[in-house]
Amino acid sequence: MALSIVGKRAIRLEAPEKVTGSAAFVADLKLPGLLVGKVLRSPHPHARILNIDTSRARALAGVKTVVTFTDTPGIKYNAAAHPAPGSVLLRDQYLLADTARYVGDPVAAVAAVDEDTAAEALDLIRVDYQPLPFVLEAEAAMAPGAPLLHDSGRNIVGRVEFTLGDVEDGFREADHIFEHRYRTSKVFPCSVEPPGVTMARADWSGRLTVWSSTQMPHQIRRIVAGALGVPQGKVRVIKPYVGGGFGSRLGAVNEPLCALLAMRTQKPVRLAYSIEETFLGTESRHPIDLTLRTGVKADGTLTARRLDAILNAGAYATHSVSFASPVGNWFRGMYKCPNYRYEGIAVYTNTSPSGAFRGYGNPQVNFAVESQMDEIAEHLGLDPLTLREKNHPCMGDIWERTKWPIESCGLEEALSLGAAEIGWREKRGKSRDGGKGRAGGGSSSGTGDASSTGNAVRGGDAFRHRGVGMAYMLHCSCGRPALHELSTAMVKMNEDGSANLLYAGADSGQGSLTVMAQIVAETVGIPLEQVQIDPVTDTDLTGFEVGSHASRQIYAGGNAVRRAALAARHEIVALAADIVGAAPGDLEIADGVIRSTSDEQKQVTVAEICREALFGSRRRQIIGMVSEEPEGNPPVYAAQFAEVEVDTRTGAVEVLKLVAAHDVGVAINPANVEGQIEGALQQGLGYALTEEVVHQPATGRPGASNLGEYKVLTAKDMPEIKVIIVEAASRTGPYGAKGVGESGLVPTAAAIGNAIYDAVGVHLDSLPFTPSRVLAALKGEAGAKGAVITVKK
Amino acid sequence: MRKIALNVNDEEYSVEAKPHHSLLHVLREQLGLTGAKEGCGEGHCGACTVLLDGRPVNSCLLLAVEAEGARVTTIEGLAEGGRLHPIQEAFINQGAVQCGYCTPGMILSAKALLDEIPDPGEKEIREAISGNLCRCTGYVKIVEAIRAAGKALAATRGA
Repeated sequence: MALSIVGKRAIRLEAPEKVTGSAAFVADLKLPGLLVGKVLRSPHPHARILNIDTSRARALAGVKTVVTFTDTPGIKYNAAAHPAPGSVLLRDQYLLADTARYVGDPVAAVAAVDEDTAAEALDLIRVDYQPLPFVLEAEAAMAPGAPLLHDSGRNIVGRVEFTLGDVEDGFREADHIFEHRYRTSKVFPCSVEPPGVTMARADWSGRLTVWSSTQMPHQIRRIVAGALGVPQGKVRVIKPYVGGGFGSRLGAVNEPLCALLAMRTQKPVRLAYSIEETFLGTESRHPIDLTLRTGVKADGTLTARRLDAILNAGAYATHSVSFASPVGNWFRGMYKCPNYRYEGIAVYTNTSPSGAFRGYGNPQVNFAVESQMDEIAEHLGLDPLTLREKNHPCMGDIWERTKWPIESCGLEEALSLGAAEIGWREKRGKSRDGGKGRAGGGSSSGTGDASSTGNAVRGGDAFRHRGVGMAYMLHCSCGRPALHELSTAMVKMNEDGSANLLYAGADSGQGSLTVMAQIVAETVGIPLEQVQIDPVTDTDLTGFEVGSHASRQIYAGGNAVRRAALAARHEIVALAADIVGAAPGDLEIADGVIRSTSDEQKQVTVAEICREALFGSRRRQIIGMVSEEPEGNPPVYAAQFAEVEVDTRTGAVEVLKLVAAHDVGVAINPANVEGQIEGALQQGLGYALTEEVVHQPATGRPGASNLGEYKVLTAKDMPEIKVIIVEAASRTGPYGAKGVGESGLVPTAAAIGNAIYDAVGVHLDSLPFTPSRVLAALKGEAGAKGAVITVKK
Repeated sequence: MRKIALNVNDEEYSVEAKPHHSLLHVLREQLGLTGAKEGCGEGHCGACTVLLDGRPVNSCLLLAVEAEGARVTTIEGLAEGGRLHPIQEAFINQGAVQCGYCTPGMILSAKALLDEIPDPGEKEIREAISGNLCRCTGYVKIVEAIRAAGKALAATRGA
């Protein structure tokens, strides 16, 4: 039967609650006697804590508890929310620091009757620090004699190696070898609801309830229980509406600490981090130093690829032990090549912990690989599109990331549609065809040529150069096979023929709730309005669900939801077959009515069947329940194109247009898919141009700690955006869907960087492309100065 | 503590507030109007936007006492008689709502714009919401929603 609900731009179920301000986020919840928690943070990047005097704070009226390291359970924990066995979760952190390891490391916490009292209490705490030598850069932290952060005897926290074939043989086979070093910046998810807002209550019957703005409710339950040494069954996690995730809530932020305050006071406590605390002490994307060496034949065939990556983990391990793996996986999965070698090393430094942020290592790797691909194409005289078409893995090929055959590939279509939309053939290389509009072109006369060849320069301004660039990417639909990807769903059929979906979804704004309801309605055969799903997730009331990470929600969660709905449908059909006297295979359901395909007279409504099941002879509710992992992990493809204008006097880069052509499998809700990509582009553009936190060498403090200093792009800063959806259906996803959540920002920075090259002839090797970096590159003082070695045969 | 009189969504309130408390704090903690959100608390993100005599302000930066004598409109005051405001309808229908945290402030900035310029161009729309950060949508569908709301309002006025 044709699909009637899947593929529709269904209106979001919860949108009316949000436009009226009725949707309750954690900070909107109130409980009688609610206390306010606050955290005291280290001003030093590395310091021994000699003594903490809390006596004056404790004596302040209205203060209910003050806690330091000695008040914690003394259990080391890891805040990352990956379930074993795929990842190593090194436990190297206490709820409150015994030794301060970065500026912002929590050293004490209070709970008081109100905000003002809690703030005053923090001022009354006296900490005696003995400052220690500190190290902020990963490479320096690996060097002999570097200050050590933990007792492990070295700062290397994780090391991963992948090899295929013999990379040295591959380099010998190459005609050219390209070697470049790229650096990526420390950036923050910056959800508008800051991460780290929790309310917790320890009740008198021994239960601990945690209201968390998380992406991973079941993982938070495990982490809170582990960090506090309480049985997991005693912990209940409730996720109300969440104001954007992007990875910032992919582990525990402050849930265990808030729960500790609640347990100490036996009163409800709210702990909400400020924006400054977000930048001081919540997880960022890993800054990575990537050395990339690629061997290539004159015709563009890749013979060897090597990546050496050094990851700045920050002060605690969280994700980092395992994080080097996905970095290598993105790298090896991108291009077909018989020989590769990857080594990734994660290193502790005295900076805030790095963790998850949309893309999970792929934005960094993609920036390096796709920037270098542009240089390779240029050097070989190939169209960048051709180089991608020649080397990308396609349907049927083994995807090195999973070592499984690729289910579907829509890249060629994405490349061709994207190229047409940006005007690739007319615009690419036009600035440089003139030859005079290249680096330092402000002083050249070539810009006149550029405008005459169609690469228009605004208002004939000789200092503004236009260019177009592109990059491609592959991303995942979940974390399999490395990560556990279990989802559990229950579809409960009510006596009026409506369905409740009980599923611990972690919609933090992406719209997965609505898509899940579409899947249930389509699969059971009832109208969308008859599917109810509570936006509030409660670990007491739903089965185990990994949560929202790795672009998995629709692919992995949707799989379980579809299969649970199918189970309910089977029961409905079986009972209907009995009642109307037809073979089950002869029945179909649409719009809540079950009909025989061979005899029009034989029909009954879903409501009648559900009523019969409950109150008639069966006395049993029709419930479909499934707890399983999806079968595969199909890669999603995208090609992004950018058109930029670079001012050679100021180094300012203006992005005029972004085209994002994404193969997402079947788009169950195209409006949601567009929304995911459009939103991701804003973050990708920020990664490319404006967003960066640099810890200051002298003090170890982050150079940005608010949204004035850290530039998140506004509506005025955005270029024209065009999203193109390509639907190469997966075999294993629900209705052919693949992942979409993270992919929208993965290739954006490289596409913009390559457009800058097209405009002014310099490749940049560091993110973001600030005016000063662009100017320095134009003057030849910076930029990618990679080596190109021609192999003598 | 100081007694202040506030007019919020055409209701008169008398509250006891500390002189340094923001309007946002009083709305959320004392009046239970939690539609205005605290994002950054420093006037950068606009999640706390409310209208003061029809003009958008960051309620996190405004002292509650400064709002005395003005008409305060919060998101809770937009729907009338159980019917959503056309801007709210447009945000729903255009898919302009994702996480929803910026949405109340965004809608109020849009209202201030459309009350002043009934049929704004894209540039005016982008300017009007440039104080409201959104991290989910890339602003694409928000801009479309505001344009659609402008047209819907114009049609109502014309009728």
